[in-house]
Order: sequence, then C-alpha cells, then structure tokens
Amino acid sequence: MSSLRYAAARILRAWAARRFGLDSLPHTINRRRIYILPSGYGLAFSAMIGAMMLAGLNYGSNLGLAFAFLMASIALIGMHHCHRNLLGLEVDATREADGFAGERATLQFVLRNASGIDRWDVEIRCPDFAAPGAADAATTSSATASVTAMSQQQLSVALATPRRGILQLSQFELRTRYPFGWFRAWSYVHAPLTVYVAPQPQGERPLTSGGGAAGTAANTDLPGDEDFAGLRAYAPGIPLKHMAWKVLARGSEAAVRSYSSLAAQPDWLDWHALADLGPEARLSQLCRWVLDADAAGRGYGLRLPGLQIEVGRGAAHRTQCMRALAQFTLEAPP
Amino acid sequence: MSAQRVGFDRLLWTAGCLGLGLAPHIGAIPIWVIVTCAAAAAVRLGLAARGRDAPPQILRIVIACLAVALLFAQFHTFNGIKAGSSLLALMAGLKLLETRNNRDVCVIILIVYFLGLSALLGGESLWLLAYLVGVCWLTTATLLRLTVAQEGPDWRASLRYSGRIVLHAMPLALILWLFFPRLAEPMWRVGGGTTSATTGLSDSLSPGDITNLALSDDIAFRVRFNGAYPPVKERYWRGPVLYRFDGRTWNRSDANFPPAPALIPDGPAYRYTVSLEPYPHSWLYTLDWPTQTDLPNTHFSGDLVLLQSGPVSRPTEVSATSYTHGRFDKALSPALRNRDLQLPPRKNPRTVAFATQLHREHPQDADFVRSVLDLLHTQAYYYSLEPPPLGADSVDEFLFETKSGFCGHYASAFAVLMRAAGIPARVVTGYVGGIYNPYAHDWVVRQSDAHAWDEVWIEGSGWMRVDPTAAIDSARVDRRLRAAQDEIALANIEVGGNLPWLTDLRMRLDAMRQLWREAILHYDPDSQQSLLAHLRIPEPDPQKLVLVLAAGLTLCFAWLTWQVRRELRPRPTDALARAYARLCATLRERGLPRYAHEGAEDYAARVAIQRPDLAAAVVPLCRRYSELRYGNGHSRAEIGRFALAVRAFRPRDSRAS
Repeated sequence: MSSLRYAAARILRAWAARRFGLDSLPHTINRRRIYILPSGYGLAFSAMIGAMMLAGLNYGSNLGLAFAFLMASIALIGMHHCHRNLLGLEVDATREADGFAGERATLQFVLRNASGIDRWDVEIRCPDFAAPGAADAATTSSATASVTAMSQQQLSVALATPRRGILQLSQFELRTRYPFGWFRAWSYVHAPLTVYVAPQPQGERPLTSGGGAAGTAANTDLPGDEDFAGLRAYAPGIPLKHMAWKVLARGSEAAVRSYSSLAAQPDWLDWHALADLGPEARLSQLCRWVLDADAAGRGYGLRLPGLQIEVGRGAAHRTQCMRALAQFTLEAPP
Repeated sequence: MSAQRVGFDRLLWTAGCLGLGLAPHIGAIPIWVIVTCAAAAAVRLGLAARGRDAPPQILRIVIACLAVALLFAQFHTFNGIKAGSSLLALMAGLKLLETRNNRDVCVIILIVYFLGLSALLGGESLWLLAYLVGVCWLTTATLLRLTVAQEGPDWRASLRYSGRIVLHAMPLALILWLFFPRLAEPMWRVGGGTTSATTGLSDSLSPGDITNLALSDDIAFRVRFNGAYPPVKERYWRGPVLYRFDGRTWNRSDANFPPAPALIPDGPAYRYTVSLEPYPHSWLYTLDWPTQTDLPNTHFSGDLVLLQSGPVSRPTEVSATSYTHGRFDKALSPALRNRDLQLPPRKNPRTVAFATQLHREHPQDADFVRSVLDLLHTQAYYYSLEPPPLGADSVDEFLFETKSGFCGHYASAFAVLMRAAGIPARVVTGYVGGIYNPYAHDWVVRQSDAHAWDEVWIEGSGWMRVDPTAAIDSARVDRRLRAAQDEIALANIEVGGNLPWLTDLRMRLDAMRQLWREAILHYDPDSQQSLLAHLRIPEPDPQKLVLVLAAGLTLCFAWLTWQVRRELRPRPTDALARAYARLCATLRERGLPRYAHEGAEDYAARVAIQRPDLAAAVVPLCRRYSELRYGNGHSRAEIGRFALAVRAFRPRDSRAS
C-alpha cells in the first residue's frame, strides 16, 4: 500500500516537473500547483457524514439532515482552508548545503507569508540521500513551521546523508494538513538544491607537518600570528584584531598588520601520503585532518589526484576542501 | 493528525465535548452508560494529571466486554436510535479510557459528532439544534487543537477560527438542506422509529381510559378550515367507533359488515385540513360527519370513520369535507342492527332491568333518550377525573353506586341503557372542541380534548349524536376539570383584543412552534417542489432539484473563493497602519506611489513638490501619522480621528500643471 502510494507520488512529481519546468527561487505557490486529497482521517470523517445523511434521510429527520449537512459544509470549508494554507506562500532556500556521510545535512528554507492570514503547520519535505547501493531513497526528511500573517519563518530540514557524494535535489515538497487533518494539500517546488556530502571524518593518523611533501608552496607568506612582519592592504575576511587602526586613523588606506609564523609550516594534506589505506578511508582521514587543521587555526592545503587546493584557511577554504572531498572520484586506481 | 502523546488540557477538552454531546441523551439512554462514561473520563483525567498513561490493556478489555454485554442484555439489539446511541456513548467513554495519543482522541471527536446527530433524530426542537451546533463548534475547535503538529493557535484563537468556519458553513448547509432530494419513503424500517407516540386514543375503551389524557397538554392535531368553521357545539372530531361490549370494555373489530346506511348531508359543508402527528393506528380524525377526502389509499368505513391502509407512521395532512347535519338513506340492515344491540349476557343486570322499565314508561325512542339525559342531569351524577375503580359489572356499579365518572363512563353506560331498551347504539371516541390560534390561523386540538360520546339509531332519521357527559350539571364537575374547561372557554371567546396576555403569549409561542413544524420538521419532497415553483422554475421535478442544488453550491464556492482571495491580500496589522496604507493607496491611484524606503514626512515632501495643490492636505496628514506612530501615548480616539481624516481626503484626479 505504501509502496503504491510512493509510486503514485513519484509519477505525479515527474509529471509536475515536466509540466512546470524549473522554478526560480524565491518561488510563490500559485493555485494551479496545489494538489489536495482527503487524508485517512478525512475518509473516516466523510464516511461518518455519509452515515449521518443516510440516518437523517431514513428517519425523515430534517434536523438530523441539517446537522449532517452542516458537518459536510464544515468539511468542504476545511478543504478550502487547507488549500488556502499554501496558496500565495513564498518559499526560498539556500541553493547549497554541506554535510558529512552518516550524519544529516541541514537545508535552510525561508517561508514568507505576505498575506493577512496565519499559516499553520506548513511542512517542507525533501527526499533523503539514497543509501549505498540504492538508486533512490524511499525516505524523506521534513520540518514543520507556522508563519503568522505578514511575517517570515526560517526552517531547516535535516536530510539523512548515508554516503559521500553530491546530492542533487531537483525538487522539494510543501505540505499541510491544517486545519483538522481531513485533507492533505501539497505542492512541488522544482529548484535544484545541491548537498555536498563530505566523507565521514575518521582516521587516527597524526598530521605530520609538511605532510610528507615539503613542496614549493610551503614557504608562501602565509599570514601567521607570531611575529610582526609588516603591513598589508586590508581585504575582506581578515580578522579585525589584525587591523592597523593607527594607520587608518592617519587617514591612509585600511591596512592590516601582517605576521609571519616561524613554527607553523603550512600543512599539506596529501592523498599520496596515505597510500596504504583504501580510497574511502583515505578521504575520511583527509577530512579528519581538514577539520583538525581548521579547528587549530593552521593554514593547510589539500592535494588529491588531479586536484590541488592551495594553502589557505578560514571557513570558505574549509568548505572548498570539504566539497573537493565530497565530489572526488578516482578515475583509475593509483 | 499525529501520534504525539495527548496532553492533559486536550484530554480535558475532549472529555468536555463528549460530556456536552452526551447531555441531550440523558434520559434516553440507560443511566449506567452515562455513569460509565463519566467514570472513564474521571479515571483517565486523573491519570493524565499525574502524568501517567492509560490503565493496563487487560483491564480495559474486560471492562469493554462487560459493558457491551450488559448493553446487549438490555436492548437485545444494537439497531435503533437508543441502542445505537448507547453503544456509541460506551465506545467513546471506553476509548477515552485507553487514549494514548492524538489519533485516539480524534476517534472520540468523530463519535461526539455522531452523538449530536443521533440526539437530533429523536428530538425536534430548535433549541436542541442550536445547542448541538454549539457543541459542534467546541468540538471542532478541540479537533483543531488536536490536529496541529506544532503549538498552533491557542484555545481562544482556535475557538474563533472554528466559529468562523461553522458560520461560513451555514449558508452552504442551508442550500444543501433546501435542495438535497428527500426520500418519499424510508429505505428500510428501523426498530424504535419515530412512531413512539405515547399518548392518544386507543381502539378500545375501558372505564378510566380517557382520564389519563385529560390533563395532558400535548397537541393531538391541528385543523385549518377553508372558509367557515362550525360552532363550538358541533366541533366533534370523529375517531374510532366502538360497538363490541364485553360488560366492561368497548372495542371494535375488522370484520366485514353489510353496507351501512349512507349519509345524506344537510346544512353547510365544512372544508378543512387536519395535520396529524404519527400514531400507531390506522384511523384519521375528521370532523363529525365526514363525506369525502382527497387523501389517497383511504376509505370511509360503514361507521363513517376515515381509515388508511397502515398506521399513521409519518406526519399526515388530511383534507376533507364534513357536514354536521344530515340523515341516512335507509334502515339499518339486520346484521348491523344486531351488532349495535349486542350486550354480554348476565352482565350489568340492574342496568338492563332499569332500562327495560324506563322504556316501558317512555315507549318513544326519542323520549326515552331525553328521559335518560334528564336523569343524568337531575340525579347526583358527578363528573370526575379520579372516579372510584369499578368491578366486573362496571355499568351497574357506576350508575347505581359510585355515580361518579369521566366521559368514558357516561358514554359506556348510556350505550348499554340504549341497547337494553332495544335502541341500536354505539360509542364514538375522538376529540371535542379545539382552540383557535389567531397567529397560526388554525385550531389546536389537544389530548386533553379527548372525549367519548354515543350515537343512537332513531327510526326515521338515522344516527343521532348524543353526548351524555354534556348532560351533567356543571355544578357537579370536578374543580380541576372546571378550571381546565374555563381556560378552554376563555380561549374560545371569539378572537378579539381582550385575550389575557398570558394566553396571548402562549398562542404566539404555539404559532411559532407550528411554523417550525410545518416549515422545518415537515419539509418533504412536496415542499421542495413547491419551493422550486416559488423560484419560478418551470415543471419542477427531482432532476431540477439537483440542478438547483449544483447551482447553489457553485455560487457558494464562488463566494468562498472570493473570501479566500480577500483574506490572502496583505493586511496592515493595526488601525493606524491601515489608515496610513489607505492614504498611500489614494495617492498611488493619483500616480504618486510611496517608495519602499520613504518615510512618511519624506513622502509628503515629495508629494508637495510634485503636486503642490495636494500639499495642504497631505503634509499635515503625514506629519500626524508620524506623531501617532512614533510619538508616545496616543489614544484610540486620536487614531480614529486620523482614520476619518484619511477617509475624507479625496483629491481631484486632474493634475495641476
């Protein structure tokens, strides 16, 4: 039964994707894109209304019929309100997200409600990353939020990411059962969201400074913290504590103090230094090292077969390295 | 609907809704069912208050089996309103006991809705319907709280929201109710149906039978005359005619008799319609003596009683014509004569002897009748609601010993006296009188008007109605009865402006109740057809009904869609913002939209440059808005004045160039 429903949902999703093409984010949900069906409880409720009407008709009880018709009308208006709960809602999402294999990646969404009504219980559902070996994930992850009138609400969906790789989400679903749970209204948003799933950080190898390859780039003027080496032009992203305030006060260009670290040679995290491990284990170890180096605030570079990321540090650098690890595929055995 | 565990407050609301849904059933379903539900609710709420779950499963199963078995032992069926409602109530109560999560509670909500319906199947008052719509509102609010996954709207907002939904549902429900095709006949018969009429005449008469009706205020039927109505002395409403006497009880049989003499009417004809409520007999009440009716599947018996093929199982309207005078075309056939002279042998010997002797003194039949009536008038016969009980020779005891009785006693004794003297006689039961309601324009005949009288066959003229009770001296009428009769007499004063206000109020209430019955309770396929005719729909038939229903529903849905559109529009949250938005909208229509980054005073400055003619109005308004918005301490009245000023601002469209 549930597999039947799942297959039906997949056909509907594919049909909707063909029909409406790609959506640009932020996306406003219009009337033609909302589907609505009674839920299980709704079917039970309608069966009850049917029984009420039969009883009223059979007993010739006009008051009983009036009550049954009132219930039926309430159900119909509930259907309208369920549909309305999604209508005109604006949804936005971050295009990219990062995560680790075996954990959950967090996708950020924003629901904007520019209307005069409160929207309760709007659920965002995303298909999970398929487990190793499976072509398609049968499970979904979801998060629910309520957006009051003229306001917006952030919500994050924690997606299951059982394996390393890049998850291309072509669509996600907005769903609601509000009010009363008699109906389920839903809409598909077709927008490409990318989740980079880095390898699980694992491995006990110590990080040997220089990484076995005291290469040419090792002596670059990596900004260290220990010794003052002179002034450099300010660039966005440099910590404010390095700001040369006195220089700025003199009315010159903004400058930062530059230091050179004597002890800290930049680390090279090298695929080839882990020749005795399997490919996934190597990636896991590299991931571990990236996280360790980043946590320690040291500069590091990453070397993979066919790819070299120059030494750097900071969040953007780490993300670049993690994404490289996520999408790395071996062309041929080393 | 989620499987989350249900909290104390939701459980409490659900139990409250169940209680309110059960309340109209109190008295109709066994009291132990209600006690069980209350106990289950108390136990479950007590557990929930301590943060504990439902009691162990084995206990719940034992209780459920026990309760259902007990119910079956009481009703022997689960069919019918009472047994069905009891079962539903039990299920809801026991479900409450085992409630763990919201899903369970949602089942109870369904049962509460259905209990509302089953209360209405038995009841018929407007107040009950209004009460149950209220219960439906509370239940829907509870359901809303139960089904939101997150915190959702609070109780107050839930009540407001579901109240609005119930209100919006009403026009839709009205259209469905008006145009949804009704059944002419029920699809199947259900035990304990609507023919649960408790009071009314039966097809036999024993001493004391009618006294139980004498103080009943229930309405027996209502009559609407087309044109003239008979004087009060001739308003006898004919019911079953009884001719078999066993010494104590009068009854009738369905045996076939040769054709009876037919009535040759005389005097004015009265045309009228009798509206009958269901009762478990096949006779229909008509004005004495009826001659014709347009009701199908009916016939007049030889005794001039209008009969239909089955019991009166649903509200029936009988249109008929009657004459209060007339004679009969031929003599009684020997078989009928024997039937109406029959007396049980060796019963009531003193009465028979007395009649024989009196008849010898008054050999003329008409004289004899008059002398018996004189006797009842002059002797110490009392008319009483609580006559002493009578034994086997009931007529002897009544006539010569107790001398106190109700109309049944007198009609019975009179018929026996007549038969003993060789005059064919029979007892007629029915109602007498009726009160005109000037607001409903009809006559109300109540159960307290139930009566029994006699008909005697006088050679030459035929049947003659004799009401021996009327012969009793009014001084010897029971005080309570006299009070009741005074009231009737009072109300029978031809309608003028001098009715006491209480009677007047009663009449108005009665008229409203009657309107309710006619327009709502008895709304049926015929009413639907005449409604279509009122809507000027040619050749109304059930198919057109469905078309009109579809059209009405479409209209309703269009209205709902429009409503939704309106609600989806952005809405400034407070009165001040609304007023300011109105000002901006007015200027936008004149080609001066406010930019998103512009504050009120900047906007006003720009407007003043672009349209100097508007500066005098716009600048103070915008400054006032800033003061109200950012200044401290402004009253509601000040905002109201600002809103009025904005409303009054209607610039001319032409640009001053």
